[in-house]
Amino acid sequence: MNKNIQEKSEWIVPYNYLPNQFANRLDIFDEWKKLTETSEYTLGPKVEEFERNFARFVDAKYCISTNNGTDALILALKSLGITYGDEVITVPNSFYATTGAIVACGAKPIFIDVDSRYQMNAHLIEPAITKKTKAILPVYWGGASPDMTAIVEIAKRNNLFVIEDACMGIGGSHQGTPPGRYGDIGAYSMHPLKSLNVMGDGGMLTTDNTDLYNWIVEYRNHGMTDRDHIVRWGVNFRLQPLQAIVANLELPKIDKIVRDRNANAKYFDIALKQLDSKVTTPKRVANDVETFSLYMVLCKDRDNLIKFLREKKIDAKIHYPIPLHLQVAALNLGYRVGSFPVAEDQAYKILTLPVHQYLEETQLKYVIDSIGEFYS
Amino acid sequence: MAIKSTFKVPYTNFSPKNNVIKQDLIDAFEQVLDSGRYIQGPEVKQFEIEFSKYSETKFAAGIANGTCSLKLTLEALDLPSNSEVITAPNSFLASASSIVLAGLTPRFVDVGEDMNIDTELLEEAINEKTKVIMPVHLTGRPAKMDKILDLAKKYDLYILEDAAQAVGAKYLGKKVGSFGIAGSFSLHPLKNLHAYGDAGIVVTNNKELWTKLSLLKNHGLRDRINCETFSTNCRLDELQAAFLRIQLRKLDEWNDERRALASLYNSKLADIVLVPVENSNEYHVYQTYMIKVKQRNALQAFLISKGIEAIIHYPIPIHLQPAAKSLNYKKGSFPVAERQCEEILSLPLYPGLTPVDQKYIIDKIYEFYK
Repeated sequence: MNKNIQEKSEWIVPYNYLPNQFANRLDIFDEWKKLTETSEYTLGPKVEEFERNFARFVDAKYCISTNNGTDALILALKSLGITYGDEVITVPNSFYATTGAIVACGAKPIFIDVDSRYQMNAHLIEPAITKKTKAILPVYWGGASPDMTAIVEIAKRNNLFVIEDACMGIGGSHQGTPPGRYGDIGAYSMHPLKSLNVMGDGGMLTTDNTDLYNWIVEYRNHGMTDRDHIVRWGVNFRLQPLQAIVANLELPKIDKIVRDRNANAKYFDIALKQLDSKVTTPKRVANDVETFSLYMVLCKDRDNLIKFLREKKIDAKIHYPIPLHLQVAALNLGYRVGSFPVAEDQAYKILTLPVHQYLEETQLKYVIDSIGEFYS
Repeated sequence: MAIKSTFKVPYTNFSPKNNVIKQDLIDAFEQVLDSGRYIQGPEVKQFEIEFSKYSETKFAAGIANGTCSLKLTLEALDLPSNSEVITAPNSFLASASSIVLAGLTPRFVDVGEDMNIDTELLEEAINEKTKVIMPVHLTGRPAKMDKILDLAKKYDLYILEDAAQAVGAKYLGKKVGSFGIAGSFSLHPLKNLHAYGDAGIVVTNNKELWTKLSLLKNHGLRDRINCETFSTNCRLDELQAAFLRIQLRKLDEWNDERRALASLYNSKLADIVLVPVENSNEYHVYQTYMIKVKQRNALQAFLISKGIEAIIHYPIPIHLQPAAKSLNYKKGSFPVAERQCEEILSLPLYPGLTPVDQKYIIDKIYEFYK
């Protein structure tokens, strides 16, 4: 870790590694200076370059960048015609934006419970399908993969669209395929704490479908076909060129970032086996590469443990203590405590440990020792 | 850092401004970078405080862009879905699209010679579905807010000012954006106060509205773990907020410079074209310097051939766009706006435009009409 920055941090094991990531900012800065000389502050060559780079990275025909991951999900849903009266099947344990995007399109989110790996339980999809169901929206929660093979098969059988919330999945893979590449459209986030991140908000989507691509590109930029003509009312969901520059510079590093995070995760997985009765790590799937955007475990006496760890200057977090269906925002959806027992149980026990690429073994060991100390 | 433009006099040029604040921008960049807080951090909060003070309002909410700020404000007003919003047909399309995106119906009213809503025509456009008047302060010139306020009071309507182009403009000495329930600003690079990318902000004196906007722009989150209403992400970037704070300190100075340049154009060009001279109760900030001319297309082609980047904002009014089909307007619906589309031309005007370049533009216009 950069010495100066670490001294400034109040944490012995910080969660936020951004000052380290951007400690060497000269390359970004050079590019930004060039940008100010061209004054291309709205879409333009840097944004297009990123779209080409990312499409190549996940082997997609098209990539369309957006202002953030939520925008990407909204564009995905809208481009598939999902609207008022439609239902979209998703999970209750994601970030608020997954459901927020469905609601923003006027559609109704239908939650189904998750499995022990915190991912959509594919067995529960078909019972949740109604005449109104239009799409399945699985989430790569934490950067692990749901059972996409099963989900895509169910979707095909029931004539439903699949939109992948791969916001946390960049750089990972499921049985050799990158997240976001199983369904009709993949949506991604480059929020600062994602595996591929920019210095603010950013996002994108991928598809192989030319019609969807054309519609999304137009709708993303005010429905404009050119400066003077608008064919439909559209939005402004554009990625900032300043952020596209950061993304272009970070993308080549993603494999190493994911490798480093995996090494740290593996360290934790092995060490936590000793505490089997207190701390449960999720099953890892052979041939899957997780991004470990979130390294999450289930713990006994979680609330006291996190308090203890934070006192020890370990910036542990909870993603999230209240599942989506029990939020005030979800009142009109008609769920209650007990609707999704697995997700609810996990919300009581789940804990996120820092696992980022700038941690050193001494810090990892300190985390493990502290957890051991708590339970001893 | 010169702009590599193919024009002798480009429509705009950021370099003179950037050169003045370059070191401040670099410092801000480094500071945000080191802070590790790139989302909704102290810079956004400070900018909101400083901008609300500048706008003479109590509150401000930074938003991702001007379209989102209009749309989100309309959503936050919680209007019945068949409500109508009155606005001008000659604006940038986002004035109308934000209304449609919020699930409401735009109703256009023709404009006057000042290119803003004709308040004489406003009253007859009001019906029982009308809930909001959204005047646009086009080109940086304030709309007739006293008349609009009277009508809003009479019919119990909200006023949401689309001040996207008018940051710093005043009407009767009062800042635009502060007249109604809320004022919405775009901080896009071509605006007088601008980010280096997309950005926007809403000002209001209504705490309830501000609280709601703050929720809606950030996933409906009251805090990190409590979601009050499912919503979207329309946040202003932390980095852009830091840049905007630097720009804000210079805004009045730069607006003065724009006004001085405009005043010179006005005095030199008044004899041969229609110039945008402000009325005594207006304080025009000339985001766009728009003249009205005969043989517009020929003049534009002539100026471009002479290396002057003159632009049309916009050749097709919103109500005649394919997107507006379902609103059932036709050619002739708004004769003044339609006529102006044939006459208007925007000339280069930016802080740092040199007297030599400005004189060149003026001379070429004279040459054309000679």
